[in-house]
Amino acid sequence: MVDDGVLRHGGSLRDMDEEASDYGEIEELELDLLLEAMYRLRGFDFRNYLRSSLRRRVRHRMNLEKLPTISALLGKVLHEEGFLEKLLEDFSIKVTEMFRDPEFFLSFRQKVVPHLKAHDELRIWHAGCATGEEVYSMAILLQEEGLLERSIIYATDMSKSAIEQAKQGKFPLKRMQAYTRNYLQAGGTREFSAYYKTDHSYAFFQPEIKGHMMFAEHNLATDGSFNEFHVILCRNVLIYFDPELQSRVHRVLTESLAPNGFLALGGKESFLSPYKAKFAEYAPEERIFRKL
Amino acid sequence: MLTPRNISIRFKIAVGYILIICCLGAAVVIVSERIQSLQNEIETITSRDMEIHNLITSIRYNVISMETSQRGYLLTGDENYLKPYTESKAEWEDNLNRLSGYFNDDVDKRRDLDNIRATIQHWIETSGEPTIALKRENQTEAIIDYYKTDSGKEDVDQLRDQLEQLRLKHLDTNRIYIGELEKRNELLTLSLIGILIAVAVVSFFIVAYVSNAIVRTIRQVSSTINEIADSRGDLTKRIKVNSKDEIRDLADATNVLLESLESQSWVQTHVADVATMNHGVNDLKELASSFLSKVAPMIGASYGVFYYRRGAGEQLRLDKVAAYASSGDEQAKSSFRFGEGLVGQCAQDKRPFLLNQPEQYKASITTGLTELQPRSVLVIPVEFESKVIAVIEFASLDPFLAQHLKLLESIEEHFGVAIDNVAGRMEVERLLGESQAMTEELQAQTEELQAQSEELQMQQEEMRMTTEHLEEQNLYAEQKTKELEQAKAELEDYAEKLRQSAQYKTNFLANMSHELRTPLNSILILSQMLYENDSKSLTPEEEGYARVIHSSGNDLLTLIDDILDLSKIEAGKIDLVVDEVNVSEVPEMLKLSFDPVADKKGLSFLIEQQSELPQIIRTDGQRLQQILKNLLSNAFKFTESGTVTLKLHLADPSIIEERMPDAQAEGFIAFSVIDTGIGIPKDKQDLIFDAFQQVDGNTNRIYGGTGLGLSICSEFAHLLGGCIVVDSELHKGSTFTLYLPYEINEAQLELNQALLEVAAAAPIGAPSRPSEHAVPVADVSVPEPDSSISNAEEPESSDEDSAFQNKRVLLVEDDARNVFAIVRALETKGLEVTVARNGQECLEIVDTDSSYDLVLMDIMMPVMDGFETTKALKKHPLMKNTPIIALTAKAMKSDQESCLAAGASDYISKPIQMEQLFSLMRVWLTKQVEH
Repeated sequence: MVDDGVLRHGGSLRDMDEEASDYGEIEELELDLLLEAMYRLRGFDFRNYLRSSLRRRVRHRMNLEKLPTISALLGKVLHEEGFLEKLLEDFSIKVTEMFRDPEFFLSFRQKVVPHLKAHDELRIWHAGCATGEEVYSMAILLQEEGLLERSIIYATDMSKSAIEQAKQGKFPLKRMQAYTRNYLQAGGTREFSAYYKTDHSYAFFQPEIKGHMMFAEHNLATDGSFNEFHVILCRNVLIYFDPELQSRVHRVLTESLAPNGFLALGGKESFLSPYKAKFAEYAPEERIFRKL
Repeated sequence: MLTPRNISIRFKIAVGYILIICCLGAAVVIVSERIQSLQNEIETITSRDMEIHNLITSIRYNVISMETSQRGYLLTGDENYLKPYTESKAEWEDNLNRLSGYFNDDVDKRRDLDNIRATIQHWIETSGEPTIALKRENQTEAIIDYYKTDSGKEDVDQLRDQLEQLRLKHLDTNRIYIGELEKRNELLTLSLIGILIAVAVVSFFIVAYVSNAIVRTIRQVSSTINEIADSRGDLTKRIKVNSKDEIRDLADATNVLLESLESQSWVQTHVADVATMNHGVNDLKELASSFLSKVAPMIGASYGVFYYRRGAGEQLRLDKVAAYASSGDEQAKSSFRFGEGLVGQCAQDKRPFLLNQPEQYKASITTGLTELQPRSVLVIPVEFESKVIAVIEFASLDPFLAQHLKLLESIEEHFGVAIDNVAGRMEVERLLGESQAMTEELQAQTEELQAQSEELQMQQEEMRMTTEHLEEQNLYAEQKTKELEQAKAELEDYAEKLRQSAQYKTNFLANMSHELRTPLNSILILSQMLYENDSKSLTPEEEGYARVIHSSGNDLLTLIDDILDLSKIEAGKIDLVVDEVNVSEVPEMLKLSFDPVADKKGLSFLIEQQSELPQIIRTDGQRLQQILKNLLSNAFKFTESGTVTLKLHLADPSIIEERMPDAQAEGFIAFSVIDTGIGIPKDKQDLIFDAFQQVDGNTNRIYGGTGLGLSICSEFAHLLGGCIVVDSELHKGSTFTLYLPYEINEAQLELNQALLEVAAAAPIGAPSRPSEHAVPVADVSVPEPDSSISNAEEPESSDEDSAFQNKRVLLVEDDARNVFAIVRALETKGLEVTVARNGQECLEIVDTDSSYDLVLMDIMMPVMDGFETTKALKKHPLMKNTPIIALTAKAMKSDQESCLAAGASDYISKPIQMEQLFSLMRVWLTKQVEH
């Protein structure tokens, strides 16, 4: 590999951002130990997560706990009950919203749904569903397209608390206006308000929508395929993984997808592993791929 | 020697032409000579013929003119008439002689001529001369006489015939002669044709020979050229010509051309090979090594190294990127500075170096068997945009040829571009990858930030709420401070009183039990003395009364003890004395106590003891006795027939685990009290351990007792780190089992006591047993599809809807029934509703008062419809941010879209479901968290 030839225009930005800062070797070692401990203790494997992201999350937790070193944090992880869970919460980024990237849902409705109508039984896997907003969105979309009756949406996340939250199907009122706008932009055909009831702080989604969902804990970093699906959504999950883990996940996703099935990735996500050859770009703008 | 192969084409053609011309010349000479002779003969014949004719005619004329002239004279006697006669007489002989000259070789005709001559002479002698002489003598009679015979006439006639015959003979001769001539003429024509044919044949052979000689070689050349053309650039073929003529020259020249073409094409194909090799290569190392392995065999090099320019300024250097047939990395130097060594010099000077027979060349060519020293070394620079970007070194066992150098020269130009391309591509790819990674990283950061900001937002919200709450509370607190201070004083008073009263209670109970015990003691002793009736002073009836008094006193004592114990326990004032207890002694003591009871009730009391029990346990022996006594007395109390069994055995760990999840399951001993009594219904089994509880009111009445016993037992058991478990069936019997650890844990003991104290301090009704709080958490990692959802939460129905409090809604609706229904519904929720009958009115209202939190907008209205009104409101400076909910007629997609286009935030279709409307309004009246 030629990596510092005459054509090189200076150091990589990624290298510069943190390596140059005070993140020293010792801290790297500490981080390694922490990740190893988390893996050995409870089987949560963050070793192939993006280092920079992990560093930030760990720092965040250190700041909150006013801890001077990662080792101190590690001590708490090892000896303080419930602390590991807290850290796991920090590590799982649960940023989501209903009909997130409405153009994706619109494209899915217009381009993918027509192909799904041919199936008698539809299995959809939402890998990394976080608190479930997009799962409910997909269910609403399928309901409006008359597909929900024959669908099961398998929604998985590595975070138990996220899954618990997702199962409840209640979302804070203070985000609902944005969700309504997303719903409308995503080509919603009915009244969004018909799908929920409210109390003073939450919107509760109707049981009809919930009926076809199945929530489970599943860790893309360690667990394998568990069924064959017609559609897999794995949006904004791979961005937290290093290329090796990304490739592993690509393999799991590829193995889990039926021929001609659809794979949806996040808007900024690349698909650079060898598994790309098994897919055709179906709607490149919305990052929808179709298995060959 | 002029063999046909050595004759030039020019010579061949010239000889051919000359031969042809010679043949033609000969033919022409022969023919013209023959024609000439023929001509001469014809001329001779013609002039003689005419001469002969003329002479014959002249002779005839002479004879006729002599006769005519003689007769004229004879008639006239005029001498003038005699003149032609004399002239002709002189002439005819001459003519005849001339004529005979033509017939020298013709005897026949000469004889004819002699006859003619004789005839003429006869005429002259017999007729002419005599008559003329007679006239002159005037002998007319003689003349007349003469004419009477006229012999002359015979002569003339004879002559005429003779002449005619001669002429005819001559004509015949002529005819024969002409026939001969004609024959000769034909012969001539034939010979002419023959000559022409001969010439033609000769020329044909010459032409054929010459042209064949030329064409054959040309064909040879052209076929070779065609072959080269057909073989598509196979330039190895050469033209072979056996002759030594101009074609040979041409072939030689062409061969030279081919040779040069071949070498050029060799260079070109190899250049192309190298050029195509570069396609799709994205790695410089790969490019370099494939370049070396491609080019080295081409130029016969057995060793090659590729150096690439890296760094800049001081650091400018050439690094080894690839090697060909290198025997190890130490052989070729891995880096050169510019100007260092031949490689560096080559880069500096931008010129190639070729060393033949290099002495002591460091690198050697390694084979499996040996190492060879190269004979030739070539170092060439690769330039791009007149900058050396790489240097390649080759070594060979054979000298490099000019062709090789030329090839390298040509490749070098292309290759410079290729290297630059690949380097560019690599850079682009690296940057692309980096940018993609950065994009993802950015996305991850964004999400993290978003998560953090959400968290912050949440915290802020919470803080704000807390602050607001605090402020409210502050006010409230300030207002209430005085009241509180008063209340505090009162409360302190109360607390003091309570403490006192609790103390009083304890003291009272302690005192009372003591005070009661003292008289009770005397009652018991005295009543006992009475029923024992030692003095036999009492009647059996009175004895019975005394017995009742005694037993009642005993009951009362037990009750008092119980009350005292319970109060102590509740006050947390029980002290345990933990000591070693001999397990085998426990039943013995109990047997002593309860055998009489058994006998009395006619029951059998059995004691079973497992063999593998520990000898000694550490616990409070007195409390253990107390618990077992209590259980046994209960058993005897509620059993009318059958047996009561005390069974000592090892505890089943599963029960310990179930009952006391915090404890270690091993190391427990169990004391089971088994009776065949009335039993306890399942639903009551949990109650019997609560204070003052029995199965029902009747039990108390039938069996007596306060129900305190089991409660106390249970508390003791917990204190001792164990528990009591009941298993009972109605009318069949009950089993009470006390589980105790072999050794009471000191820490556990303290904790238990502390818990009891806490329980004592807690209000009545709170759970007092520590085991109750430990509910095992179900494992939910593999859920069923529906099970997890059915139990999901539903919105709490709360009467005070905080979202709606003090919120103002502007309802724009023309239908009076709808207005009535909606207004009433909204007002019950605490909303303040203003109604506008149409869009116009709405805008008028808004102009005077625009402090609305929400607008409900009907779409189908007179005067000004909902779309227009919505648009107008969205332009209103104070209303543009107020959410507008469109009330559409039965949901039509187009209607909905128009609503949104007009600026409505959401829509709901009629007939309006009030619950849905409220949900919707809660959404749009809730302050949003935006990212």
